[in-house]
Amino acid sequence: MPESTIAADRAASPAALPMLEVVGASKSFRGLKAVAQASLSVATGEIVALIGPNGAGKTTLFNLIAGALAPDEGAIRFLGADIAGERSDRICAAGIGRTFQIVKPFADMSVLENAMVGGFRGTADRRLARARAEGALRSLDMWLQRDRPASALTLPDRKRLEVARALATEPRLLLLDEVMAGLRPTETDQMVAAFRRLNAEQGVTILLIEHVMRAVMALAQRVYVLHHGEIIASGTPQQVTTNPKVLESYLGVEAGH
Amino acid sequence: MARARAALLILLAVLLVAPLALDRYLLSVMILILYFAFVGQAWNIMMGFCGQLSLGHALYVGLGAYTAAALYQHFGVVPWVGLLAAVAVCVAAASAIGWLAFRFGIGGTYFALLTIAFAEFTRIGFDHFDWVGASGGFFLKVAQQDRADLLNLRGGPLMFYYLALALAVAAFLLSAWLLRGRLGFYFRAIRDNEEAARASGVDTFRYKMVAVQISAGLTALGGVFFAFYYNNLFPEQIFNMGRSIEIILAPLIGGVGTLFGPILGAAVLTLLSEGISEALALSGYEIPGAKQILYGIALGLSIMFMPHGIWPALADRLGLRRSDGDDDA
Repeated sequence: MPESTIAADRAASPAALPMLEVVGASKSFRGLKAVAQASLSVATGEIVALIGPNGAGKTTLFNLIAGALAPDEGAIRFLGADIAGERSDRICAAGIGRTFQIVKPFADMSVLENAMVGGFRGTADRRLARARAEGALRSLDMWLQRDRPASALTLPDRKRLEVARALATEPRLLLLDEVMAGLRPTETDQMVAAFRRLNAEQGVTILLIEHVMRAVMALAQRVYVLHHGEIIASGTPQQVTTNPKVLESYLGVEAGH
Repeated sequence: MARARAALLILLAVLLVAPLALDRYLLSVMILILYFAFVGQAWNIMMGFCGQLSLGHALYVGLGAYTAAALYQHFGVVPWVGLLAAVAVCVAAASAIGWLAFRFGIGGTYFALLTIAFAEFTRIGFDHFDWVGASGGFFLKVAQQDRADLLNLRGGPLMFYYLALALAVAAFLLSAWLLRGRLGFYFRAIRDNEEAARASGVDTFRYKMVAVQISAGLTALGGVFFAFYYNNLFPEQIFNMGRSIEIILAPLIGGVGTLFGPILGAAVLTLLSEGISEALALSGYEIPGAKQILYGIALGLSIMFMPHGIWPALADRLGLRRSDGDDDA
């Protein structure tokens, strides 16, 4: 396709502009390739899932996007700007909010205070921070727990708090790292509904790592499959879950039969 | 919270009129309590709020004291101007230490060791610093005890009592204000989990530097007070590691990271220390070191039974909320 056509294409539908673009990103730890030449893109307004067996490099890829780690090679573009190797607080300021798979609450602060830390992004106005935190906690049904210390929460609630804290930064792109693990099916459905609302009403773009297929199927418009650090498949949830390569690597050889 | 505010105002009113009822000795005890409440509050901002352990705060007491005292003695600079220089020197020193530590990712106990090292270097340096008397000590002109010359900070205990009270109140208000705003939230986020703080948009390097600078600047004021109250400075004493430990005992015993901990801790510790001395004197036995042993046992017991400090234990007992940060939540 000639360049002019691409430009015209983009001008015609700005929504199709990728919000996040990872191009050939790699990361090794002492010679072990955790992420190898991974490329993916997430369009504005999309909900995309990243799946793969344990140790596939999903969290490492998240860490590269969120600035917790710098890629050895490759480009990571957010809204057109290269953010590879940028500091994580700047990436947060640019509009990417993330949660941690291994939860990291501010243990000696209350639930509301945890979310308010996120709410202070780009402002010193305490009222604004509190309003953002309140909005985030309400959308995750955590408002009634606002005065509890984070250390007193159950693991599923700590995962929800991770999401609330990230949401309070008012991100344009939300990176969710296994936030539904350990939830009961009804709770999973509630959280799925909350993410759908966020996506539809506030236009938050979401990239999620998830093992709970119930949630992936319900949320994701597209799915990437990571295996041994490489993207081995991508497509709609239906396409991906019937892809023999995926079944073999992700679900195990047995499942393919 | 309204109740707490009323209680604080009553306490302040009592402290304002207290000198009427106190003799010279008790007044000096009160000055000590207020001084330790003040420097404890300053240390607490760095460690209690932001989680950066300093075991070398004597450095800032000493630098602040020497700066203001030398400017006064050598150039006749009034202490109210000298304290600005003292704060500047201490903020600069803290910035250098903080930059070295935080830029190169030195945290936790290693950071604490660095703070001790700098305090020790400085002590040794001042031992050979002839301009301020080296190890022989540096002495301010003797104060006219009967006249209170507020401009030159020359006067008797009454003047220093009110100065110490003003410092303690100011540090308390500053801490309360810090905790309410973004700085306080960011400090506490860094203390609880640095990586999560970064992911939430906190420039952790910058805010750790700010915490260290505020703490050092405040402690410098404590040093200026110390210099003009005691009128003599010896490197071996003022930069001594024991002094650093003294500073952190009050918030440690009272409750690290709380607003009331440093005040309560300072009161309990000073009264305990003085009380043991008095009791031993009254008993008529002269056992060398007995005071230190009793004092140590008391500290040990308090840490065993109230590991988070007296204030959190007391607040729980009284049904007050422990969180000092968000009163209208």
